[in-house]
Amino acid sequence: MYYLGIDVGSVSTDIVVIDENYNVVESVYLRTKGRPIKAVQEGFKYIKEKIKTNEIAGVGTTGSGRHIAAFLVGADVVKNEITSHAVAALSLDKDVRTIIEIGGQDSKIITLENGMITDFAMNTVCAAGTGSFLDRQAERLEIPIEEFGDYALRSKNPVRIAGRCAVFAESDMIHKQQLGFAVEDIIRGLCEALVRNYLNNVAKGKDIKSKIFFQGGVAANKGMKRAFEEALGCEVFVPKHYNMMGAIGAAILAAERQIKWTNFKGFEIADVKYETASFECSGCSNLCEVAVIKCEDKVIGYFGDRCGRHSGKVAV
Amino acid sequence: MKVTFPHMGNVYIGAKFLMDGLGIDYVIPPFNSKRALEIGSLYSPEEICLPFKIMMGNYIESIERGADTIILTGSCGPCRFGEYAELQMKILKKLGKNLDFVVLDLPSDIGFDELKRRINKISSQSPKPKKEKYMALVNAYRIIGLIDALEAKAHDRAGYELNKGECKGLLNECKKKLLETNDPKEAISILKEYHKKMDEVKISREKKPVRVAIIGEIYTIIEPFSNLYIEDKLMEMGVSIKRTLSPSWWVYNTVILSPFGLTAKKIRDAAKEYLPLGVGGHGQECVGEAVLSSEEGFDGAIQIFPLGCMPEIVSKSILPSISRDKNFPILSLVVDEMTGEAGYQTRIEAFIDLLERRRRYVLSRN
Repeated sequence: MYYLGIDVGSVSTDIVVIDENYNVVESVYLRTKGRPIKAVQEGFKYIKEKIKTNEIAGVGTTGSGRHIAAFLVGADVVKNEITSHAVAALSLDKDVRTIIEIGGQDSKIITLENGMITDFAMNTVCAAGTGSFLDRQAERLEIPIEEFGDYALRSKNPVRIAGRCAVFAESDMIHKQQLGFAVEDIIRGLCEALVRNYLNNVAKGKDIKSKIFFQGGVAANKGMKRAFEEALGCEVFVPKHYNMMGAIGAAILAAERQIKWTNFKGFEIADVKYETASFECSGCSNLCEVAVIKCEDKVIGYFGDRCGRHSGKVAV
Repeated sequence: MKVTFPHMGNVYIGAKFLMDGLGIDYVIPPFNSKRALEIGSLYSPEEICLPFKIMMGNYIESIERGADTIILTGSCGPCRFGEYAELQMKILKKLGKNLDFVVLDLPSDIGFDELKRRINKISSQSPKPKKEKYMALVNAYRIIGLIDALEAKAHDRAGYELNKGECKGLLNECKKKLLETNDPKEAISILKEYHKKMDEVKISREKKPVRVAIIGEIYTIIEPFSNLYIEDKLMEMGVSIKRTLSPSWWVYNTVILSPFGLTAKKIRDAAKEYLPLGVGGHGQECVGEAVLSSEEGFDGAIQIFPLGCMPEIVSKSILPSISRDKNFPILSLVVDEMTGEAGYQTRIEAFIDLLERRRRYVLSRN
């Protein structure tokens, strides 16, 4: 039997299939592009070729789009990203004490003790240093994001970049470029600035102990890994499936639940046409923006109403 | 004269029946909503804390409905709440709204004569004889006490209920019924009836729900709109909640106990080890409650405060030491008009997960 894990994030949608021993059998990594339903469907189209619907014994969803994904595929477990990431890391190594997770628009720190989360934090008011920002800088410098880290590793003399704010960091980078610094040095400087920002904001006041795991999409960036190692003075491990850890965690949580009958609707939903629309509810002064999901002109669900007038959940 | 007052949790219920009892015309501002916040933010200084902005929204929405007098409790205290009334008066004046502000400060700040003069401004408008005015006050105090107690009961029992959503449903039903009457006596009997109903909600004491204490800045923990309905969210997750601070707690501790210097004595004593001095607002209370709730066997605490709240920033930096010393998880949440709900929800869910998994771990070890 297999278990399915889906992580619908701001930037990427990851789908993994794991077996009973939590080994990854299949995985797909897609860009969400603001269309979570379509991303999940595309992923299913790919997996459908390899795995049959009736082989799936449980489904877990996570990420910022976990609710809509759960609704779409019929999930058995809907979990937040923090728990999912921790569960996935613990399944690889029971001794992990700190997880640094940097995704598309989130950065998180999770501290663990004896295989149990003891504390966590997420970026609150600032997204400087997350994947979206690095993406944008790579684009601006016309360097493929995949090679961004290699550029940083080639640098001998990093330039100091102001990393407090994403916009000012960009201004500072442009300024340094105009002064004639090498691109490699600027990129390494940027990595160091982002690590500084992370340690001063997200990780402020947290005890960072090794073993340290670095996961999330940004972990692909070797420059960031090295900057973390230099700042923390110890080795930082990047797990093999660093960019899918959330989905793996969700799948493990579904497997742990040991449910008899899964709610899974099947990979066939990849071929169903879904439409989304939205309206502003005028039932009260809250004026909730309600999203509607339609399947072949039939309304199948509502999201975003606070009172449950449309979605039928417990009323506030 | 048509009086109004800002929202803060159940305050409107107490205030409504006080005015009903006094026979004074009043407007309850529409319940807090995005609109109130938008209007309020538009006319407030950008850096001021969230309660100020929501209150401004309340005033303006009430003025639209004919209110001409605003009643507000004051504090000449060492946090920005102390300047709320003055600033709000100035802003409304600049907007060309012609109204009266009645600020009820403590006699220790403004003297008995001044307080008497201010109270007289309202009570002189009441056609009722003196004895009835006194009774109106007593009844209103009872009503706010009863509704706060009912709410606390619902929050506690929600973790144990057998039929999910029953406690929350009863509480909301009761609040709706209270708005339908103008008779304080009837309100009291409705409240008593619902207390009985709440006691009869089927619960299972074997269920061992996660128990969480809500601590922090008084306005943002009491007013559900400002904390994105955290208590409703937790009740839906089957968490049992305790929140000590409530409007009736405030009245009892600030108005009745303060002349004797006994305000929140137990909580402040508990805070002594970590924060021996008052830092304004309810910063010391927040620290004290964290200590008390860990001693009372709660699984964790959630601190909520508005961005830029001075007293709570002090307590926030102390909470990690308590967390470490007492092995007691505490989550701090900051709210303002920019708060995104998705990240907020994720943090709450992850924190409750943490508490659940922690407990399972402790159980499996024994």
